[in-house]
Amino acid sequence: MKKTLGLASALGLGVIAAMGVALSHGSGDDDAAIDLVVNQPEGDVSREEGLAAWDRIFAVASHPRCANCHTDENNVPMWSGPSYGKTRPHGMNINAGMSRIGIESMPCTTCHTQSTKPNTIPHAPPHTGHVWMLAPVEFVWFGKDTQTICAQMRDPERNGGRDGAGLVEHILHDAEIKAFITWGFNPGGGREPAPGTMQDHLNDMVTWTAAGMPCPDPAG
Amino acid sequence: MQLIVNGETVDADVEEDMPLLWVLRDELNVKGPKYGCGIAQCGACTVHVDGMPVRSCSITAKQVEGAEVTTIEGLGTPDALHAVQEAWIDHQVAQCGYCQSGQIMSAAALLAIYPEPSDEQIDRALSANLCRCGTYPRIREAVKSAAAKLQGA
Repeated sequence: MKKTLGLASALGLGVIAAMGVALSHGSGDDDAAIDLVVNQPEGDVSREEGLAAWDRIFAVASHPRCANCHTDENNVPMWSGPSYGKTRPHGMNINAGMSRIGIESMPCTTCHTQSTKPNTIPHAPPHTGHVWMLAPVEFVWFGKDTQTICAQMRDPERNGGRDGAGLVEHILHDAEIKAFITWGFNPGGGREPAPGTMQDHLNDMVTWTAAGMPCPDPAG
Repeated sequence: MQLIVNGETVDADVEEDMPLLWVLRDELNVKGPKYGCGIAQCGACTVHVDGMPVRSCSITAKQVEGAEVTTIEGLGTPDALHAVQEAWIDHQVAQCGYCQSGQIMSAAALLAIYPEPSDEQIDRALSANLCRCGTYPRIREAVKSAAAKLQGA
């Protein structure tokens, strides 16, 4: 069964109600809309299907495009991945501070402006429709294995208080405002995107949450 | 479009997506902010927007509409220099000088929040303002002098 974003209401999300709506909002700039469709699985989803979906979610979460800003309590963003060569802390001695939005006298937005315009310039600080920042410190992904990230993502005390529906809604809302997940799949400027597409990622999150958010066995 | 630059409301007949730096330099003849890299990597174009340092090459005119834009021309005047500007002269920080208006704007923003910054805080606040001449040791000392001056020491 394939449904459009109207299914968000059916899932109890209640935020995005219009059927088939194109998610085109942002911080006021105009550019192409992002069409996402919530594909509700038919019947029960097996643990195996859920784990397969998780593997793909992990590939996204652990990709440098995402993990570089999901760093620990040192509040230092990272530069890693094929666009950067050797893995190293963000240049220019950057520290996002306890606030995670940059030290108070120089927030991330000093250089990373807030805009929904496409990122087109190589080496320029990227921007999104959300104020640039590190992910909350509870969401540490950089250098973490699949079991660790999985346990964090399904724990409401460490995922922003979200249940399964909340995780799906998080992706939809991100697309609506063109925030970081959306950027990760289309980072521009010659940066390698996270694997797959935003739609693939949404499909996987729907599948994984429908399967009860299974995590891989630490023993493999 | 109306912009507020150094306390004055000015009319600028520009496209909304023109970078603020272009508006300042080419339309309003405010030449303090410098064009360095053009992609928010060097900090030479730093201005304050509502008191916070921003790379003016990478923010659009539309994004600062209604905000208070301050350039180095508005930080102090030749007759009444800002403490940071005075300290810059006292320590003869500048070598070639090209990056220095951006350095001063970032330093002023730092001191507005941290009146007594540590070396670490100074380094964090100013490392993203690149100086090819390597004036950082003098920058650090000038920031400390300015901090003392602002506190009436």
